[in-house]
Formats: sequence, C-alpha cells, structure tokens
Amino acid sequence: MASVPLENRPSGFRLKSLGRRLEVRMLLLALVIAVALSLLSPYFLTRANVFNMLDQSVVIGIVAVGMTFVILTGGIDLSVGSVAGLTGIILGLAVQQMPIPAAIAVAVAAGGGIGLVSGVLIAFFGLAPFVVTLGVMAIGRSLAYILSGQTAISNIPMGMQDIVYTNVFGVPSNVLFLVVLYALAWAYLTYTKGGRTIYAVGSNKEAARAAGLNTLFYSILPYVLSGALSAVAITFSISQLLSADPLMGNAMELDAIAAVVIGGASLYGGRGSMIGTLIGVFIMVMIRNGLNLMGVSPFWQGSAIGTIIILALLVERLLSARAAR
Amino acid sequence: MVAESQAAPDASPLLVMRGITKTFDRTRALGGADFELREGEIHGLLGANGAGKSTLSKVIAGHHAFEDGTMRYRGHDIRLRGTRDALRIGIGIVMQETSLVPDLSVLENIFLPELGRSGRLDRRAMRRSGEEILASLGQADSLPFDWEVRRLSSAQKQLVEIAKALGVRAKLLIFDEPTASLSPGEVERLFDVMSRLRASGRGLVFVSHRLEEVFAITDRVTVLREGRTVMAAKPTAELTQAELIRAMVGAELGGIYDRAETKPAVAAPVALEVEHLASAPAVRDVSFSVRKGEILGLGGLVGAGRSETVEAVFGLRPRTGGTVRLNGRPLKAESPKTAIRAGLGFVAEDRRTQNIVPDLSVKENLLLAHLGARRGFLCGYGAREKKVEELLAGLGLPQERLLDSSMLNFSGGMQQKIIIARWLLLDPSVLILDEPTKGVDIGTRAGIYQMLRDIAARGVAVVVVSSDFEELLGLSDRIVVMSDGRSIADLPSAMLDEEKLTLLAAPRTSMARNTELLNALAREHRGAGFWALIEDDRLICLNAVVADPAADPGFKAGEARAIGETRIPAALAQRAPIFVPEPSGGRTTLVVPITSPRGHDLGWVGLSLSSGEALPSPEAIRARIDTMAATL
Repeated sequence: MASVPLENRPSGFRLKSLGRRLEVRMLLLALVIAVALSLLSPYFLTRANVFNMLDQSVVIGIVAVGMTFVILTGGIDLSVGSVAGLTGIILGLAVQQMPIPAAIAVAVAAGGGIGLVSGVLIAFFGLAPFVVTLGVMAIGRSLAYILSGQTAISNIPMGMQDIVYTNVFGVPSNVLFLVVLYALAWAYLTYTKGGRTIYAVGSNKEAARAAGLNTLFYSILPYVLSGALSAVAITFSISQLLSADPLMGNAMELDAIAAVVIGGASLYGGRGSMIGTLIGVFIMVMIRNGLNLMGVSPFWQGSAIGTIIILALLVERLLSARAAR
Repeated sequence: MVAESQAAPDASPLLVMRGITKTFDRTRALGGADFELREGEIHGLLGANGAGKSTLSKVIAGHHAFEDGTMRYRGHDIRLRGTRDALRIGIGIVMQETSLVPDLSVLENIFLPELGRSGRLDRRAMRRSGEEILASLGQADSLPFDWEVRRLSSAQKQLVEIAKALGVRAKLLIFDEPTASLSPGEVERLFDVMSRLRASGRGLVFVSHRLEEVFAITDRVTVLREGRTVMAAKPTAELTQAELIRAMVGAELGGIYDRAETKPAVAAPVALEVEHLASAPAVRDVSFSVRKGEILGLGGLVGAGRSETVEAVFGLRPRTGGTVRLNGRPLKAESPKTAIRAGLGFVAEDRRTQNIVPDLSVKENLLLAHLGARRGFLCGYGAREKKVEELLAGLGLPQERLLDSSMLNFSGGMQQKIIIARWLLLDPSVLILDEPTKGVDIGTRAGIYQMLRDIAARGVAVVVVSSDFEELLGLSDRIVVMSDGRSIADLPSAMLDEEKLTLLAAPRTSMARNTELLNALAREHRGAGFWALIEDDRLICLNAVVADPAADPGFKAGEARAIGETRIPAALAQRAPIFVPEPSGGRTTLVVPITSPRGHDLGWVGLSLSSGEALPSPEAIRARIDTMAATL
C-alpha cells in the first residue's frame, strides 16, 4: 500500500460506487420521512416513541441481517416469520425446563437447523429458494401451533427481561446488540473471504466456482444464519412481552425483505450492503410507526408497505437499466 | 457485379447486399460486406472466427438491423425490422436449436408462426401439411409429430427448424454452422435435404468453417474477413482449399503469430500429464502432456470434447477414468479449489458466464482466484498489492480503473487480459485457456498471443484449446488433436498445416468407410493397411489397421514419422503404382493416391504385406480405393 500515491489509494474493497450513492439517497429519504413525520405528529420525536421505534428496529433489524445474506446470494427466505414463531414457542417451552441461556441456545440452534435444511435443499439439491422456504414457512407455523397447543405461553420467567432492559453506557442492551451485529455483519461481508464469496456467488456462481471458491458452503451458510437470527429476534420480542405466542413473527418476512430491498439490494443477488439494510429497517419502522401515529387502520398499512416495496423495486430496475446503458 | 459465366440461365439473383455495415458498441462487426445469392444455389459464407459471417447471416434474417448499405430481395429494396418481417417475405434461418420451444410438440413448433395468428388452429390440416413438407424433403415419417421437441436429437431439431421455415414458404434459407453438432451420417442426410431444397429453386446460405463440407455442398463461395467481403461469389469448383484458406486468413494476419524464436522444450520437465482421461459422455480416452515453458494446442471440431477434457482436468466436471499428474503428483479432481491449490489455472471458454463476476470491482475480479486459493478467514488482499501493481503495469491498465464498477465496461480483449492476470497472480505451474480469443477483435488478439508467449517463456506450461486452426498452428509448439472424445494425434505444429489438421480432426465415425476398407484389405491379404499424408520426406498417419504384425509399416494412427524411420521407406519414397519390395526385405508395399469426388488430394492409402504373402493385383486394390473415395 505504501507505494501508492494517496489520491490513488483504493478505499478498501467497497461495492460499486452506484451502491454507495444509493445508500446516500436512501439515508436522505429516511431523513425526509423523519422530518415529515415529526411535522405531522408532535408525538413522533418524543423519547418514548423513539425508544419504541428502536425496540421495533431491533426485531426487524436482526432478521434483516440474515435476509441480506440470503438475498446477496440471489436467494430469498420466506420462512423467517414462521421460524421466529416456532423457535419462540421452543424457547417458551425450553425456558420452563432449563436455565435461560441454555433455552435461548436451544431455540437459536433449532432456527439454525431449520435454515440448514432449507440451505441444503436449495444449494445442494438445486431446488428453488422461493418454493423451499415457502414450504418451510407453512411447516414452521403449523408446528408452532401444535407445540404450543394453540395458546400463548405466558409463564416466562421475569429474568428474561434483563436481556432487553439492561442499559450499557446508557444504551439499551437490545439496541447495542443490534449495532454490534450490524458492525460485525458489515465487517464480515467487506473484509473476509466468506463475505466476498457470498457476493461472488450471488453475482456469478459459475465464475466463483471456477475460481476455486467454496460456493456450496457459502450458499448454505446464509440460510443457517437467517434461521438462527430469526430465533434471536424472537428472543428479544419474548423478553419484552414475557409471552410466546404461536402467531408471533407473522408477516415478519414482508418487513425484512422490504427493508433489504429498500436498502438497495438486488433480488438477483450480488448487490446490497448492511448499511443500506439498516437504513431500510429504519425506513420501514418509521413508516409503520408513522401510520400508527396518524391513526391509519392496520388494514391499510399492508397496502402502504406493499406499495413501498414495489416502488423500491421499480426504482432499482429503472436505475440499473440506466447504469447498464 | 458481373454475372458469373457458369450461371444457369434461370438463376436470377434472389438477394443482393451491398456495402453492409453493422457496429456493436464500439466493435465494428461488418464494415462494407457484399453478398449475392441466386435462386437454386447453395452459397457458402466463409470466414475465420470474428470475420462477421454470423453477423451478416443474422442481418439477412432480420435479427440485426444494418446501418449503411443496401439489401435487395427479389428485386425490391428492403429493410427488415425483425425476424417476423424476414419470415413474412420468405427468409428463414436455421440456427442451432435456438428458436425452438422445447416444451411444445414437434408439430406445434413447425407451425409456431401460425400460433401467433388469430383464429382457430386446424390441427388436422397442420399435420397434413407437416407430412407434405417432410415428404418434400425426402424425410417422410422421420419426425414424431407429437413428441416434445426436448426429446429430439440435434439433427431432428434441425429438421424441425427447416420444416418450420418451409411452413411459412421460405424462399431463402440460412444454415448457420448446421453441421457443428451432427454425426457424419446426419451430415449426409442434411446435405441430401439441402440438395432437394436447391432443386426446388430455393436459395441457400451455408455458413461454415469446415472446408471439406464447403467443397462437398456449395455452388459458390463468399469469404468475409474483418467484416468485409474479400472473395465475392466465386464458383466453388474453380477454387482450391489453399486459396480459400488464404482468403479467410489474409496475408497481413501472418504477422500476429510471429514468435521471437522457437525453443525446443524437449529438455524441460513435464508439468502436466493426462493419461486415459475419461468423463462420460463427452470425454472417452484422452492423453497428453505439457512441459514447462511449452505451449500445447488442443484442437478438434466442435463436439470433439476439448472443453470437457480441460474442465475434467480442472475439477469442474467429474472424471470417470484416467489419471492426471501435476508436477509428478497425482491430481484428484474433487473441485477447482484442489486444482488451483496444486498450481493449475484455468480460463474458461465463456467470459461472461464463467469468468467475470460483474458486481465486484475490477480489482476483486483480478483477486478472485487468489480468494479461492486462500485458506485464511480474511481476504488477504494486502499481501498481493505489489503483485497486482506489477501485473497492471504489464496490462497497461491505469491503477484508478481498478475500482471501476464493472468489468463489462472494458473491451473483450482487456477483459480477457484481466482474467488471465487473475491466474498469473497465483504463479501457476500450468495455465489452461479455453478459446482465449473468442469474442476478442483481431487487433487485440496479437496482444493476448504475446502475453501467452511471455507466460510460457517464464516456465509456465500453457495449454490452449481452440477451434481456430490458424490460431492453434500459430501459437502452439505442439498440437494434440481430439476427435469424438479421444486424443488421436500429438504432433509438433511445425509439421502441420490447416489442411492436415482438418483431416486429422475429422470425426472418427466419418472414417468408418475408410477404416472398413483398410480392415478388409488388411485381413483379406493378411497385411497392414494405412491412410497417410506424405509431404517431402515426412509422413503423418491418419489411420492404420494391422492384421499381420509382420507387415506392420512402423507407424500408428496420429503419428508422424520421417519416411526413413518407417519400416517401408522405399515404397513410401517411390509411391509407384506397383508393390514395391523393401531392399531390406521383409515387407512389400503398394501406395495409392486417394482423391475426393471433387478432386481434392486426401493423401495416400497403402497396403503392406510381409514378403511371403501372394501379391494381389495392384489395379484391383486401386479400384477398391477409388470406389471408396467416391463416397467420401
């Protein structure tokens, strides 16, 4: 590096400059939404609401990390919501039998195990990610109902609350966890062999294989991560509510995929970043929060979120078509 | 254009194209091409790789719109806006399986253009006219109308394409490399169909680079070079193979293969050794070896199994037999990673789908194989920084373009250089390149050849797979020829020329008759039969059958020998029309020239007998060889 003149120094191995510009655009969009909502609702910028939004960001944000990895390889994971529901029930049941850390470990391992099954079916047997995770989505929700006996498990030990309500240097532990998770995921994707392989697999799997990269392993890993992180996310939810409901995590895949796509990732794989996803998570949470504050019926919120996802995709397509020209 | 004197009186021009130009991005594919086609003729369209013959045929078929020039079809100036336009006025193209819908039935595919029309489909009428079309081609009942097209062989799919064009009453049919994936028997059937189409007054364009086929089927020939017509509509019968090759390659191209010195690499140790490699179904039995500092060419026709061979060596394709040794150690074919770590590099054939990762920067593309070979957790890019700079300086690529968003913004030649550099970064002991100049314009090719020669000069063993014989001959020190999944010859390139390569590369099955004859001769007369090319005092054996070991002429198929080194030097030197006994005794040999039906020299067929055997009549043998030659 030393011999390279300063102005020519490569600034690390970042993605395309277009991607970076996209993140800047999305950050501006997030700020515009924040300003608009604070003008529309005086309650928006209150301390209580901001912490409420951060709590919500933690749950969606954790799932969106796994989803980013999956989407970077060109796949999709529709099962995150129902895997969260199922692992939440597993956690609720396990925590009756064993110490809290062990119960959490069981739930996370179960989530990772389900992801491993999906990943192997997709990467080794070549099944379509959409179909495999759709099937797992149905199975997961069904098992959640069966294991829970169709009712919420409410006798969760109070000790679980420590996971959420401990402050470290004045920052809630769940928010700190999110920040550290994103920093680690970003560093992994940017600086490690595995991270770069995930990008290469999504961009051109055949070329990656011919260059000697372990495409099979790094095609499966994102699904394992996605399943495990779904369990981590639901752990934070349960810690707050002290209840595990088989319906938990319903439609979570929608928010997670939306956050990743709004963050500039391409559903064809190879393009996207953790920073973009984090901005996408904030945008999603702010919009949901804002719609609630303005008293928009929950029935209309689905339409709003759906429209935003489609618009984000449309903008991406138009921009990449221009870039290709 | 002056009308050719041989023109049949009724042969009016069906299509006249003048000064056609076509540019893709910054690459000029056609720079003033002329072409003329008559009714009732088969017109060969020839050229080296990248000469523009495919582009021109796609312009005729409406796939591409031309920029400048004129196109007159049946007396009218036309400009096509698409293949639909072309089909409507009777221009059809038969490509390799591309325009068929694999999940629809044969009948639906033949009448696919009808499906686009409104109104009810009359299946019974479709079936009837489908049968009529096949009957007119002499292929009645040869297609199962109700099968999905995916179940057909390549030859059958081609027949569907032809029938489809005839279904819309095409007057002009373009055959784009139609024989590339056909067996010799299927080629014969195709030529029969083409002859019938010619007899019915249609004009046919035959795009090919197989000269023997061009001589077998075409009436006239047009040659393109670098997007221009360099030989316009010459009657095939007036041409020799050498003239055609000269026109295709051009004198000014000779320079790009210039090498500083030819260094014999005999002394260098063997870097890669492949023995009896098999990878079902395409690779059956391939053996070759490369020494350090040597450039080995792997040649053969499309479908000979060359790409599959190198992919099996590299671990991209499972092996079913044989061994590979790299620097003396066995190389297992688990995955490319194993091969890369052992010191093998591989530039795959298709740059876009097999080499370039479009979403990574140029620098990361350059470092991709480094990443694949690396064992650590981190990328370890920093350690390669110096080497990257060195390589870039050699490529003439400015440092600031390293972080460029996309490889795809570079020319094909620069892309290829970056991909080659990707492997040089790892200091491989063997570098394999599959079609290294595919899609690279002629000007940049010289740069890639120079790069490969420099790599070899540094002691790397280089293996080049190419279907461009000229390139193989110009670049390689030695050439291994493959045919039907087997390596059949291993010769220094200095001994070969394009004609000999073409003969050697011919599918083994197309030698069936020849082998049959050699077999019959050898067995009936209890001797040895062979087919060989003889030039000055050297012999290249194309085929040999030995029934009596005592009559063995001293060379096998695919081998080259100085005449003096064989066991029948006197007979080979005299090539008299009688049995010539060797002065040393032991064998007596008849050597007879063999000529194709169109008068082309195909070398010599010989019959060696051990001295004790009764000599058959030379005239009878010669008659049998001539009869066989007439069917070639």
